[in-house]
Amino acid sequence: MEALLQALVNGLLSGSLIAVPAVGFTAIFAILRYPSFAIAGYVSVGAFAGWWVNTRFGFGAPLALLAAFVAGGLTGLVCEQGLLRRLMPSGALTVAIASIAVNLVLENVLRFFFGNDLRGFDLPIRPDLILGGIFIGVQQLWNLLLAVVVVGAVFGFLMFTRFGRAMRAVADNPDLARLKGIDPSRIAAIAVMLGAGLAGAGGVLLGLDTSIDPMTGYRVLLSVFAAAVLGGLGSIPGAVVGALALGLAEELSLLVVPATYRTAVGFVAILLILTFRPRGLLGERAA
Amino acid sequence: MLSYLLFSITIGGVYALLALALNLAWGSAGLVNLGLAGFFGIGAYATALATGAGLPVALGLGIAMLAGVLAGLMVTGMTLRLRDDYLAIVTLGFGEVVRLVALNERWLTNGADGLSGIAAPGKAALGTAGFNWAWCIGVSLVVLLVALLLRRLDAGPFGRALRAVREDQELAAFAGKPVLRLKLQAFALSAAIAALAGALYAHYQSYISPDHFQPLITIYIFLAVTAGGLGRPLGAVLGAYAVVAFLEGTRFLAAEVPGIEPVQVAALREALVGLSLLLVLHLRPRGVLPERIPAAPKVSA
Amino acid sequence: MIDFLSGLAQRSLARRSLLGTALALPLLPAAARAQQSGPIRIAALSPLSGAGGAYGPSMVKAIRAVVEEANAAGGILGRKVELVVEDDQTNPEAAVRAMRKLIDVDKVSAVAGVWASSVAAAIAPLCWESGTMLLTCAGADALTNLPHQGFLARTQPNTTLQGRKFGEFALAQGAKRVFMLSPQTPFVQSQFENIAAAVKAQGGEAELLVYDDKKPSYRSELQQALRFRPDAIVLGGYLPDTTVLVKDMLRAGFNGTRIAFAYSVNQKLIESVPADTVEGIFTIAPSPAEGSPAFKHMTEQAGTPTPDPYSTQSYDQANLALLAMQAAGTASGTAIRDTLRKISQAPGGTVVSTVTEGLAALKEGKALNYEGASGPCDFTEKGDIADCQFRYEQVKAGKLTLLRIA
Repeated sequence: MEALLQALVNGLLSGSLIAVPAVGFTAIFAILRYPSFAIAGYVSVGAFAGWWVNTRFGFGAPLALLAAFVAGGLTGLVCEQGLLRRLMPSGALTVAIASIAVNLVLENVLRFFFGNDLRGFDLPIRPDLILGGIFIGVQQLWNLLLAVVVVGAVFGFLMFTRFGRAMRAVADNPDLARLKGIDPSRIAAIAVMLGAGLAGAGGVLLGLDTSIDPMTGYRVLLSVFAAAVLGGLGSIPGAVVGALALGLAEELSLLVVPATYRTAVGFVAILLILTFRPRGLLGERAA
Repeated sequence: MLSYLLFSITIGGVYALLALALNLAWGSAGLVNLGLAGFFGIGAYATALATGAGLPVALGLGIAMLAGVLAGLMVTGMTLRLRDDYLAIVTLGFGEVVRLVALNERWLTNGADGLSGIAAPGKAALGTAGFNWAWCIGVSLVVLLVALLLRRLDAGPFGRALRAVREDQELAAFAGKPVLRLKLQAFALSAAIAALAGALYAHYQSYISPDHFQPLITIYIFLAVTAGGLGRPLGAVLGAYAVVAFLEGTRFLAAEVPGIEPVQVAALREALVGLSLLLVLHLRPRGVLPERIPAAPKVSA
Repeated sequence: MIDFLSGLAQRSLARRSLLGTALALPLLPAAARAQQSGPIRIAALSPLSGAGGAYGPSMVKAIRAVVEEANAAGGILGRKVELVVEDDQTNPEAAVRAMRKLIDVDKVSAVAGVWASSVAAAIAPLCWESGTMLLTCAGADALTNLPHQGFLARTQPNTTLQGRKFGEFALAQGAKRVFMLSPQTPFVQSQFENIAAAVKAQGGEAELLVYDDKKPSYRSELQQALRFRPDAIVLGGYLPDTTVLVKDMLRAGFNGTRIAFAYSVNQKLIESVPADTVEGIFTIAPSPAEGSPAFKHMTEQAGTPTPDPYSTQSYDQANLALLAMQAAGTASGTAIRDTLRKISQAPGGTVVSTVTEGLAALKEGKALNYEGASGPCDFTEKGDIADCQFRYEQVKAGKLTLLRIA
């Protein structure tokens, strides 16, 4: 029983790590309709940016997150506008393939300038709270909170601002949106900045827990995909629910499946969901 | 130098088979297979285990292809009703699962140690140099054979039906094409070819391990197919040889860049792969040999 | 094309003339590939990207330092030494392509700095078929059982020995219940069996958990370990996953004994995490005797007082390959194979620890006994390390501090 409860807690906490980049991924998908593999690159770029301002200037986690958001967002904007956008007429899959190439380039640009050495944030590590025999990570709790705040902010942005409404309109029906005088390319740019920025911020959250290197984003890529597909591609609350569900599934599976197969659990979860609920837990929708 | 060339052409042949496999699924049927490395691995392990148990190599190759077909059917059976982007993500996960199984099921695959001493037909009889020649010619012939076969298939009713499915699934279904069956067939055949590539690689190298089947090779093959011209078997083959030439050529090129560390050279080489894929997509989105869509046959009477 | 054909003709000519003069040589193609003139080339084939990327760069640096030192000392056999570096991408498929180029184009006589077991196993047949010496840090026990005809030697002691040392060390720290956390490696099983054997012989208990090494957190795995109520936890992973684990251990408040390989808890890891995370962790590495001049020399070159074991091994590999060629009087892989043990462990040989010393001693016609930075570098027939001491270090105030060597 205790093990089960602990697995639930761990699942929520580890799921929250994936939630932020998963929201970023799904936000890009919602507007541009292609799965962006470059998201892994944005995660790593953000992680390095956050690490840089943290170790160079001594900024704490909130500023590191902000720096990561900006760096990830700008990188995303440059890659998207400069490299991917022009390929749109060739179809979503072509763009997806190109985004794999973008990811490879980003990973190696980081490798070129920073090498492969692991880098850690200069922030203290806090011991777990122990409540009734259950270990709860303080930092992870903060991550969860941050994830909730970030996602809440994005959600609020989409629901209550003019841009947000325009974004949702484009996601639902680009042609209709254009008729209403919304410029889809401007909306796309904002979506990319938002999505890639979130991925970058997610990189810092990951880095706080682990340490970072050029492959930080790549290691979580499959989990991010799995979370977004579980929740329903393009649905922002879905990505959060998907990430938490994935975290729970992975941790609970440890009770019965050897730990070495943790990555495979995500894959099985995708297959099951797609078989029984092909549009994901919350269905495919923007916001 | 000669043995290096023979080797590179042989590896180019293995890549060409993978490119043909991808071209069939992606180019002809519009099904993206990001788990290509997984099917490559399945073929390699299937024949290594079969021939390790005493079966002849020819049978091993057959078993490898069969294993590929089964795996292909399994993956697509669950996802074909879904949109293509889902298939892309599922196949990516599948490739990783294959690697995990190979890594962890020691009783079957010998785990991280890998399988060594896989039968290398001709090595004892021909000696190292003769073996290199024989395999270079042999693999090239297999590539030629598969390419010709696929070209015939492509030009025939099967290819036309596939393209109809790729262009507009609903319309194809409306026109009475068995859409699901066509997709299954295309994907399974593609998986079989990828598995054949893996099997040939296993016998050529005599050693395979889970580390062999990392996703980077899938990216190389995507580069090959896009560079050669999506939808053209011949283009895929040319693209594959070009990619191997490119990968090997960058070694010599990168060595000329002055004043950078080895790790930076390595980063440059990998970045170049990504950049050239982007470049090809931008400059020649339809490849060096663009797809030819034959005119529909005239309906007689 | 004409170049290739004439090259082919030349090579077969060379082969024929050798056939006349040296029928006794067991491996003709190998002998035919001896580098006759121009610079002597050796290769570093190390992981500069991929999963092993954290190790490769410093390994290559160590090898390069040796090559530069040899050239400063007048070269090998009076010829300049050239180092060719290739990236194995921690992937045997890429490694085989790189190795073919190193053998066929660069005609290297030895390859050093080979890290991953799968890479070593994949390139081993190429090496023994072409007569290229393969020197590796790979740990899989199966490697030296390959039919390598002597063309493979490794500086990493085999896992039976290491496992036993881990077990004995845990016992010495008063631990009765030992838990091992490790990713899937070729040697995790045999390592654990040897730890368990050592611990159980003293009435203790041991358990193993193998985890997936690409995850950002191992909380559940660690808690599973803690439910075993271990006195000591042995970490069997590499840099990225061990970094995550040491942080998770601090958070979970585990304050028992933590033992890790020196290649995972190395100076780089220590510098990349908050100090309290790693304080008190014990590390074990194969080692030379205390006060080894080779180790000291290497630390000066590497610029760190605690180079990780893979770097010290790569350093030794390069020294051994170069000195063997000098001693043999021929620059070829076969020459290295045939003379390796004459310079690494000649009975009564002059003890040397750098390539400069070695070259000087060889000029005086002395037999050599190379004592390296990673250990005494004595090899068995099979190519394993014959015997080795281990250095036990502990992280104290953010620095690896030597406890003892035994």
